[in-house]
Amino acid sequence: MSASIPSRSESSDPRPENEAAPRWVRTPPIDIFEIEEGLVLRADLPGVTAEGLELQVQDNRLTLLGRVTSAAPEGARLIHHEYHDGDFLRSFILSDDVDHERISAKLTQGVLEVFLPRTPRAEPRRISVQIQ
Amino acid sequence: MPVFRWGNPLHAFPDLEREMDRWMKSMDLAFEGLRLGRPFPALNVYVTEEEYLITAELAGCEPESLDVHVVNGELVLRGNRSLQGAIPEERFRRSERPSGAFERVISLPERIDEQKIRADFVNGLLKLHLPKLPATAPRQIKITDLNQPSATDSNPV
Repeated sequence: MSASIPSRSESSDPRPENEAAPRWVRTPPIDIFEIEEGLVLRADLPGVTAEGLELQVQDNRLTLLGRVTSAAPEGARLIHHEYHDGDFLRSFILSDDVDHERISAKLTQGVLEVFLPRTPRAEPRRISVQIQ
Repeated sequence: MPVFRWGNPLHAFPDLEREMDRWMKSMDLAFEGLRLGRPFPALNVYVTEEEYLITAELAGCEPESLDVHVVNGELVLRGNRSLQGAIPEERFRRSERPSGAFERVISLPERIDEQKIRADFVNGLLKLHLPKLPATAPRQIKITDLNQPSATDSNPV
């Protein structure tokens, strides 16, 4: 686990007393596909804003954490329930041929798209063989 | 211990079979949700003093592609989520996000002000605000006693 992702307890945003109930952490559904230049990862993060999104690469692990502020107004009662109002968390192991320095991401209408470019292939190097 | 009817004990079997059939059918319905995965979009419904609030998780949907209407006391939410674009299927290494056309029908409770239903779409989350109608004052219904015709009720001459 990446140590630099703060857990809920040490989260800096102070929440009102009545929201101190345990929060759900959910695994968002993802798609990964190949393009010429590398891989594209898309994740459904409905309700997540750019400010609430943390994307980190540490060693070979890519971690995404999307914080969701509850859509429910003050004092609302949940009468039908199909999803948990919680934060999104998922992490991935990157292969060695992903160029970590050039990873880029964008968030549009609750969909995160991460571009994982392939490291440019090194030129073949000729190794000269000495004849003894 | 099975209980058979008086008479031919085998007559009980068609009943049992029917009962099993019915049971299997209800199982099918119960597991349909599991077989097809979670319903899309996932909905939550909240209630406050003033309104009902329906939230739908619709990440990646264009607001223009969504169709929300109210008919016969039901709210219908329709749309289409297309994901792939021009990317061929064999390029996918993982494909978990649901796509395609969807429709959800939600029965509305009574006393909803249908004219004032409002829908917001922010960050892939659709919020439908359904305001409650103000509680109507109890209306007294006058009971006319037909056995005692009053003076005003007299026959015209």
